Amino acid sequence: MSMIGAASDAPGLHEFEVMANEPVAEGVWHMRCHTPVASRIKPGQFVNIAVPGDGSHILRVPLSFSAADADQEVLELVYAVVGEGTQRLSNMRAGDTSTMVGPSGRGWWLPERAGRSLLVAGGVGLPPIVACARMLADAGRGFDVIVGAQTASRHVEYLLEELRRMPPAEGCDCARKVVVCTDDGSLGVHGFTTAAMADLIADRPFAQVYACGPAPMMAGVAALARKRDIACQTSLERMMGCGFGACSCCNVELSAGGYALCCKDGPVFDAMEVVW
Amino acid sequence: MVSMQGSPRMAVNLGGIEMRNPVNTASGTFGNGEQFEGFYDVGSTLGAITCKGVSAEPWVGNPVPRLAELGGSAILNSVGLQNPGVHGFVERYGSYLQGLRDKGCAVICQVAGHSIGEYEQATELFEELAPFASGFEINISCPNIAAGGAAMGATPETAAEVMRAVRPRTARPVIVKMAPHDVAEIGRALEAEGADALSLINTIPGMAIDVRTRKSRVCRPTAGVSGPAIHAIAVRMVWECAKAVRIPICGIGGITCGDDAAEMILAGATAVSVGTANLTDPTCAARVVAELTQWVREQGASDVNELRGAFEC
Repeated sequence: MSMIGAASDAPGLHEFEVMANEPVAEGVWHMRCHTPVASRIKPGQFVNIAVPGDGSHILRVPLSFSAADADQEVLELVYAVVGEGTQRLSNMRAGDTSTMVGPSGRGWWLPERAGRSLLVAGGVGLPPIVACARMLADAGRGFDVIVGAQTASRHVEYLLEELRRMPPAEGCDCARKVVVCTDDGSLGVHGFTTAAMADLIADRPFAQVYACGPAPMMAGVAALARKRDIACQTSLERMMGCGFGACSCCNVELSAGGYALCCKDGPVFDAMEVVW
Repeated sequence: MVSMQGSPRMAVNLGGIEMRNPVNTASGTFGNGEQFEGFYDVGSTLGAITCKGVSAEPWVGNPVPRLAELGGSAILNSVGLQNPGVHGFVERYGSYLQGLRDKGCAVICQVAGHSIGEYEQATELFEELAPFASGFEINISCPNIAAGGAAMGATPETAAEVMRAVRPRTARPVIVKMAPHDVAEIGRALEAEGADALSLINTIPGMAIDVRTRKSRVCRPTAGVSGPAIHAIAVRMVWECAKAVRIPICGIGGITCGDDAAEMILAGATAVSVGTANLTDPTCAARVVAELTQWVREQGASDVNELRGAFEC
C-alpha cells in the first residue's frame, strides 16, 4: 500500500484493498479494507472513494467510518446502498483495489464541559456515532446513545452490540443506556429519536450532544439541545465535488452569515453555527 | 531534433506568461493550489495554476445545493463565484502563491465582476496588491446585473467592452476566459481590444430537473456542465477559435489525460487547463504533465510548440 500524497495532516490519495464487503442489515453493507489512511484518520473524519466499474459517474463516494485500526491499517466502513455509486461499491469483493482520498475534514471533538454525553444516530448516521463513542470511551467519558432506523431489519445489530460493550466511564455508577428506536415500532421504542431524546434529557443531565442522521432529525436534535443549553455537535452531509476544499460545492449556511464548506470546515459543526 | 529518449522542450509562452510546461488548471477546480499540496508538489510540477475567480468585494456565492452528478461523465455546478474579495484573497493566499512563483510555476489570478466598474476595480486592486500574479484571467461569464443577468461577455460588443475597461489597468498579460459560443467572432473582438490570450471553454449551460419534485437539482434553473462529456465540444471550439485569432489559446474542457491535452494542442492550443478531473483524481494535472511529455517524445518532436495546430484534416 503506497501513499501517493505527501503533507502529514492534509488529505492524500491512498490505495485500498477490500478485505471483506458484506450486507449487515437490509440495504446496509459493511466493508473492511486495508489502507494507510487508517493510521491517521480521526473519529468523524471521512474518506472519498473512487468506485471502479462505471466511467459515466465520475464523482467519488464520500463515506464516514465506524472503526480504524491504526496498527493493522484496517478501516471499517458501514454504508447504505442508496444510489448508483453505493450500489457499485457493494459489488466490490475481497482483493479488489481502488483509491480513496483522506483523511478528510474536521471530525468530532471531546466535550468542552465536564459531564455525560448523549449520542444520537439516525439511519446510516450510526457509523460516525460509533467512532465518536469509541473516542469518548477511550477518553474515559460517560455517554448514552439513541439509535433510530425506519424498521427493525435496517438496524445494524453488531454496531449496537459494540456500543453496549464499550467500557464504562471510570468512577461512573450510571449504567449506559443504548436506546433503540424504529419509525414503525418493529423494534425498541416506537417513534423518532427526537422523542426518545426528549425523554432522556428530562431524566439525566448531559453536557454534550453528538448527532448524525437525516437533516430533519439533526435539526430536531439541535433544537432540543439548544433549549436545554446543551452543547451540540452535528455531522452534516452534502453532495461533494472534490471532498478537500477545492471546488466550493458542498456549502453549509452559517448562522453568522455566509457559507462554510462541509468537506473542509466540517463535516462536524457546532449546531449553533449552522442554519437549520 | 533530440533523440527519442531525450526530454523534449515543454516550455510555452501563453501571451507573455512563461510556463515551464503547457499544463495549467481551470479556475474553480483547483482551489488556490494549496488544497493539492497533500497530493503533489504543485509549484515544482505544473506550468501554471489559475486561481478561483475573485471580485473587488467578497461574494457570498449561491445557496445549497450547488452540485449534481449527471451520469454520462458530466457534473452540473452553480457555485456563484463565492470568494473573499481581492483583499481577503491576497491576505489568505498571497504568501503561498508567491511560493509557487518562486518554484517556477506561473500564477494566474482570475478577475470577476458584475459590471464594467467592478472589473475595473478588481483589476486595479489586483494590480496593486498581487505582485505574485504572472497575469490575469478575466471571467466574462459572470452575470451582468445591469443587463438582467445575461453574461458580461455574451456578445462581441459586451466582451470587447470588458476588455477595453480592463486593458489600461494592468501591464501584465490579460487572458479572457470565454463562454462556449461564437468563439471565433468574440475571440477576434477580444484580440482587437488587446487581449494577450484566450482560454476556452467555460462550462456549458445546462439543466437537470428532479422529475419527482419538479425542481432543479441545483440551486438555479440553469448551471454549468463540465467533465469528460464536453471534451469533444471544447476541442472543436478551440480549433475554430485558433483559426480566427493570432493570440495564444489555453484549451479547457474535459481533459483527463495526456491524450486529451494533446488533442487541444493539435487543435491549436498553446496551453491546456485540467478542470473537473482535479476533483475526481486530485493527481490528474501532474499525470497530464508526464503523459503529454511522453506524447511529444513519441511524436518525435523536440519541442511541444512544433505540434501546436499540427492537426491534419
